[in-house]
Amino acid sequence: MRQKIQPDPDCLLEAHEVTMKFTRYDVGVNSLKELVVRAFRRDLKREKFVCLENVSFKIHKGEAVAVIGRNGVGKSTLLKIVSGILKPTSGWAHCNGRISPLLQLGAGFDGNATGIENIYLNAAIMGYTKKEIDAKLPDILAFAELGDFIHTPVKAYSSGMLARLGFSIAITMDAEIMLIDEILAVGDIAFQKKCYDRLAELRKKGLTFLIVSHGDAVRSLCDRAIWIERGHVIADGPAGEIFDRYANAMMHPEQGA
Amino acid sequence: MIKEKLRRPLQQAYLLRLLVRRNIKNQYYRSFIGVLWTVLNPLLNMLVMTLVFSKLFGDDPTLMLDYPIYILSGNIIFNIMRTSTSGSLPCLVRQRDMLQKTRVSIALFPTANVLSSLVTFLFSFVALLIVALVRYFMVGYTLSWHIVLIVVLLPAIALFSLGISYFLSALYVFFRDIEHLYSVILTLWTYLTPLFYTVERLGSALIKKIMNLNPMYHYVEYFRTLLAGDIPSGMEHLFCYGFAIASFAVGYLFMRAVRNHIAANL
Repeated sequence: MRQKIQPDPDCLLEAHEVTMKFTRYDVGVNSLKELVVRAFRRDLKREKFVCLENVSFKIHKGEAVAVIGRNGVGKSTLLKIVSGILKPTSGWAHCNGRISPLLQLGAGFDGNATGIENIYLNAAIMGYTKKEIDAKLPDILAFAELGDFIHTPVKAYSSGMLARLGFSIAITMDAEIMLIDEILAVGDIAFQKKCYDRLAELRKKGLTFLIVSHGDAVRSLCDRAIWIERGHVIADGPAGEIFDRYANAMMHPEQGA
Repeated sequence: MIKEKLRRPLQQAYLLRLLVRRNIKNQYYRSFIGVLWTVLNPLLNMLVMTLVFSKLFGDDPTLMLDYPIYILSGNIIFNIMRTSTSGSLPCLVRQRDMLQKTRVSIALFPTANVLSSLVTFLFSFVALLIVALVRYFMVGYTLSWHIVLIVVLLPAIALFSLGISYFLSALYVFFRDIEHLYSVILTLWTYLTPLFYTVERLGSALIKKIMNLNPMYHYVEYFRTLLAGDIPSGMEHLFCYGFAIASFAVGYLFMRAVRNHIAANL
């Protein structure tokens, strides 16, 4: 299949008429037992549902974009497609740089491994080589401020310490795109402030942000917002305006968007 | 240019190494004699099984090998398959947080499990050598040079285990109850493979024919043939590699076919 429209080389992230359809069993079949029992009862109704339809956008270098929308409108699916993990049913997405995911608290860590080991493991899964991680290690350690705890298995960490470690890894590895899902609300205030300062600093340096969160805290970081409703982009524009319209629509659902 | 091309495979090799190291560390995490367990564990197992079963099967006239060696060899070969597949089963789901957000080749995770099982096998192999030495003084069992041919067997069983590992780790994303089902299957498989008994002892030509369909039987027998100082027949090689390639092909193709569904469902 020849793509008629080539990716725009100036864009860091681009989605072109992305449509994603899923086939789901209408009652959640997530066990083999369920599948077999229902197959015997001839009770397997498949349902096709369209998660995203003709979603297109371009994100240029240095932009900070928030993707907003109700729960379950396909934001996470969109992120997976844009970062190349999921192939869309039709259309294409293109990503022109490395993505550094800011994970939810402690996610992706191995409890039995020490902080240091987890830094190497996580960064290696993200696609960094040993040399690159070695070079960044002092920065990560300095930012996390975990002291000697860095040599302790992370299952002994408090949630705040996990957040510190995760955040430090994501923020220090120099990727072109920062993916922020569920902004961290844990960690003491001093550390939170440090994180936001660092994010703002990275913004100034021209790092591209892709944020999935409605929190007021991230509002100041974004300059553009894409609002998704029922699988469509219904608004794309300056962050302040879209956030207000979105908040308004959520508070007064009867008036419509 | 060349450096850029090499970057990805080298990076993946590095990640694989980290994953293998993590697996091995976790296996004996916090046990105070640590890695020594990898040698002691098969030894003690063998000791128990020899004590229990030698009365029943130990004086078997069809036994071509010293009984403790027979038991130990069967178990450590079977364990390569057992630990790699049961470790692989939940490995993608366990890494879901990272796999949802990063574009990393998912095949690396089951592969790491198979490789760490091979490393564990090397430790168990040391245990086998110790037993062989002890049995040399006790009953005059001598280890022949044929044992070096193990390097022909290991790729086959690794490939075989890798195929199952691919398949199971992918399937587990969709069906979380196969974990229980698989542990039952593994137990059954353990008993259906002549680990502590001999097929000849069962005294039925039919059973022997059916046993040929059990891939693990071939891997175990191949190893024992080496330990008895023989070279396995060409037919045995065909069986070992045939099953390995078939398993790998099925597992690999299945994982490739459902890759997008895995990404959606994780």
